[in-house]
Amino acid sequence: MTSFKKILKIIALALYLIAALLPFYWITITSLKDSKEIYSFPLKYWPSKISFNSYKQLFSFANFGIYFRNSAIVSLIAAFAAMIISMFSGYALSRLKMKRFKNRILLALYFTQMIPGFIIMAPLFTMLSQFQMTDKLSTLTILYITMVIAFSTIMAKSFFDRIPISLEEASMIDGCNIVQSLFKIVFPLTLPGLAAIFSFAFVNIWNELFLATMFIFSDDKMTIPVALNSFISKAGISWDIMSAGLVVSLLPTMIIFAFAQKYIIAGLTEGAVKG
Amino acid sequence: MRNSQRKLFIMIIPAFVLLILFVYFPIVKGGVVAFQNYNLFDLTNVHFIGLDNFKAVITDRNFNFWRICLNTVLWIFVSLFFQFVLGFGLALLMRKPFKGRGIYSALVFYPWAVSGFAIGLVWAWMFNGQFGMINDLLMRLGIINNNIGFLSDPKFAMMSVIIANVWYGVPFFAIMLLAALQSVPKELYEAAEIDGATKLRQLFDVTIPYIKPTIISTTLLRTMWIMNFPEIIYGMTGGGPANSTNILATLMINKIYKFYDYGQGAAIGFIIMSVLFVYAFFYLRLTSSKEVVL
Repeated sequence: MTSFKKILKIIALALYLIAALLPFYWITITSLKDSKEIYSFPLKYWPSKISFNSYKQLFSFANFGIYFRNSAIVSLIAAFAAMIISMFSGYALSRLKMKRFKNRILLALYFTQMIPGFIIMAPLFTMLSQFQMTDKLSTLTILYITMVIAFSTIMAKSFFDRIPISLEEASMIDGCNIVQSLFKIVFPLTLPGLAAIFSFAFVNIWNELFLATMFIFSDDKMTIPVALNSFISKAGISWDIMSAGLVVSLLPTMIIFAFAQKYIIAGLTEGAVKG
Repeated sequence: MRNSQRKLFIMIIPAFVLLILFVYFPIVKGGVVAFQNYNLFDLTNVHFIGLDNFKAVITDRNFNFWRICLNTVLWIFVSLFFQFVLGFGLALLMRKPFKGRGIYSALVFYPWAVSGFAIGLVWAWMFNGQFGMINDLLMRLGIINNNIGFLSDPKFAMMSVIIANVWYGVPFFAIMLLAALQSVPKELYEAAEIDGATKLRQLFDVTIPYIKPTIISTTLLRTMWIMNFPEIIYGMTGGGPANSTNILATLMINKIYKFYDYGQGAAIGFIIMSVLFVYAFFYLRLTSSKEVVL
């Protein structure tokens, strides 16, 4: 490659990087300015004095600590449960021999990706209120597990497909039963895959807004997206608090994404589309 | 081995119990709700009203239905076009390993880890008519003289939400296409090289035909997801100003969350789903693709 082309390529890569990160930069900078500087001209691309005031306000004025805790508990439990459940269903789908049955199950799983979530909200709401299950974080957790389980299963299946069945057969000859060979041989080999499923589920659940808005009414049970949404309706948004809230809401998924990005990408490309 | 196959069945049960209870069963009921008078304020008065919900949605004076359909088409295809072109470009640039590619991809793919609603809020702030960074940058560059109300001016609102959506969607295409690009056998390029094909010819005669199945599946999947993805618009404009950014999915949210009218909401959901089914059917026919797993 000529050096001219190389430079063009580097410029293009740099431009993509700037475009991808600029909104993150701007919201972080906004959250670190003091509230006067946010609304003053000319706009500053670096705060004249770094202030954590908006964060202080966020955690004192709104119950943001509680929302954060709610979000964390619900997301961690739901993502972990989804990982365990899809570990079994994905394994089963990968090893089942009946082809037609298997294809129907897979179709049923893919079908869930096509439906607009809102169409099921009304029936779900009346159904769950009959059993007094609304306004509960436990209900939300179960709904979130369901929300990600189809895709998690598809991802898990693709990971198990890559593990040769001969490994299990060998262990069975050595006297393991199916459960033992699963826990001793198969699951340890799919740990990266399971990490991907967990992170993917976590990111999706952490970010979910509309189910939580529908099923949670009490202030002390709100999750972060619901809280951010309620900031808007409360007499206009003050962008200093909002941007601090956004930064806090972004942090956990960014940390997870940094660690699991490689696996998530592998899971996605194997799971969703057979190219 | 019989015995172990039976155990496999048992392993599928937990996942499907959840899906049947909280997805498949409600969706059948949801289909029914579309034909009922079903308002949360008036739950004692739930009864069948035939196609009235559909009629009400289409003739609603507050929401110009055909305008909203046009908006939906615009939202999907303009977003899809730029997401695809830019995502493909990025995948091509990242195709050959370079120093720091791991970190680079982690950073470039970040938009994808953010919730649609948060993206909406962040971009609403970027596009803010008074204190927004984009106005400021355009002024400094001398492209505009006065601040533009990107989100309050119907002329610019749709463009603004689409830009946010493109920003969000580029990584998805880049991930999928990058994986596909890496599966193209090197021998094909070597052969093309010997035949004297230019890089551009190689792209159109070797690369694109080889990854066509991925292109077809990702664009199809993505079309469906974009159609069902109102969060960005909800966070940026809520469908306004003057309906200029309302799409079918945000109309559905408005009906459900503002008017508590589940019946009309479900009717819109019904319309969206039918359109997607018909679209998927013809899309797969036209491209005669059998490789898509859907």
